[in-house]
Amino acid sequence: MDTTQLLKGVLDLAVLAALRDEDGYGYDILRRLRAAGLEDVGDASVYGTLRRLFAGGYLNSYVVPSVEGPHRKYYGLNAAGHAELQRSGKVWHGFASTMDDLLRERETA
Amino acid sequence: MNSTAQDEITEYVERVRAALADLPEATRAELLEDLPEHLAEIRAEDTVTLTDRLGTPEAYAAELRGTATGYVGGFPDPPKSPWVTPAEVRTQVMKVLGPADVKIGPLIGYPKASDFLALLRPAWWVLRGYLAAMALAYLFDASGNEPGLLPRVGGSTLVALILLAGCVFASILIGQRRLGRAGWPRYVLRFGSVFLVLFAIGGFFNADSDVRDPGYSDAGYSGGGNPYDYITDVFVYDSTGKLVPGARLFDQDGSPIQMGNAWCDNPNTGESFHSRSMGYPYCPEAAPFGSPNATPSANRTATPEPDAAATAEPGATVTPDATATPGATVTPGASVTEPADAPTTKPARPAPSASFLDGGR
Repeated sequence: MDTTQLLKGVLDLAVLAALRDEDGYGYDILRRLRAAGLEDVGDASVYGTLRRLFAGGYLNSYVVPSVEGPHRKYYGLNAAGHAELQRSGKVWHGFASTMDDLLRERETA
Repeated sequence: MNSTAQDEITEYVERVRAALADLPEATRAELLEDLPEHLAEIRAEDTVTLTDRLGTPEAYAAELRGTATGYVGGFPDPPKSPWVTPAEVRTQVMKVLGPADVKIGPLIGYPKASDFLALLRPAWWVLRGYLAAMALAYLFDASGNEPGLLPRVGGSTLVALILLAGCVFASILIGQRRLGRAGWPRYVLRFGSVFLVLFAIGGFFNADSDVRDPGYSDAGYSGGGNPYDYITDVFVYDSTGKLVPGARLFDQDGSPIQMGNAWCDNPNTGESFHSRSMGYPYCPEAAPFGSPNATPSANRTATPEPDAAATAEPGATVTPDATATPGATVTPGASVTEPADAPTTKPARPAPSASFLDGGR
């Protein structure tokens, strides 16, 4: 089983979750996801997802100047983003518990 | 960041862009919009090259492509309006115009081309006033006259100047936003500006073609202001003020100049009859200046009357722009009569046209 295929389906939710408590810029978010255990997530996936969520109106964005490096574009959840995180989170929990149950039945059967 | 890193980023972005060439332009533009900045962030994190850090641009593009499909992570993209919104059009246009603005500006000595255009704004206000006045003149002038380049109504230049001043004044006030520009007047103004620009383009090409081709100028044909339109006959006088009968006119190429019409009116009966003259004038009896030999009854004294000679002078000169007049009895300037010569000229010989005149009556 390929985790990248699974990841594809939950990437939006993962990125929204990574931004729940704190705003972040692209590379920062990638680091958070990897630190959380999603080792296979690629930079392009995070960047593309951020672009798409932003275009979809779930994120706000602002640029923070940096003294020694390039300016960083920070993303944060707006109201729609928080709502989507809740809704998608519930869908995920339902789906995950269904899968858990299914797997348990198979295992016990 | 040094320029090497900048070049590396630019090249990387271009290769990603090339790998995404098959995507719809809007999707691709959205995906790539922030990529240079994003890559700059990553490049600043550590010293390895982007390819070492992220893989090849093509692999990066493939991963990016995966995020662009409609369904990622459980919820669809928000429904897109089937209509292209003005904001989208604006974004697309600015994407092209923005860089051009910055590139062209320095060529004409400004940071941005739009800085220069902003300086021209009052000039546009004046032009807009003029165009509005011309448009009004076209709408309200029922006289059917050509208005020329001023907004004449009923052919009156005074009205034109007043209308012009009023429209330019109003346009300047509108430009300075002293007159209302909120809500619907703004849309009226925009619509009006588009109309005036179209009107101006039409008017410009009209005026251009009028200047390039001011109408058929061959003598004898009617059409735009040709001074030879009214000519029905030509009278040639020699240096002594004598009417030259049977004159033929040629242009510089030796082609005969045909003007007038070969029909004469009998002033007594009002009848028209075809001229029998083999040259000009067709109707010698209608000569505008008295000539010693113009009519059979003219006095045939040895010296033509100085008066007649003098009166023959103005307007009698037939000067077709000719340098060579083969066989012609007319040469440029030939009819300029020196009054001093008049008394010494030879006796005029009887006009050959006398018989014609007799026959003609």
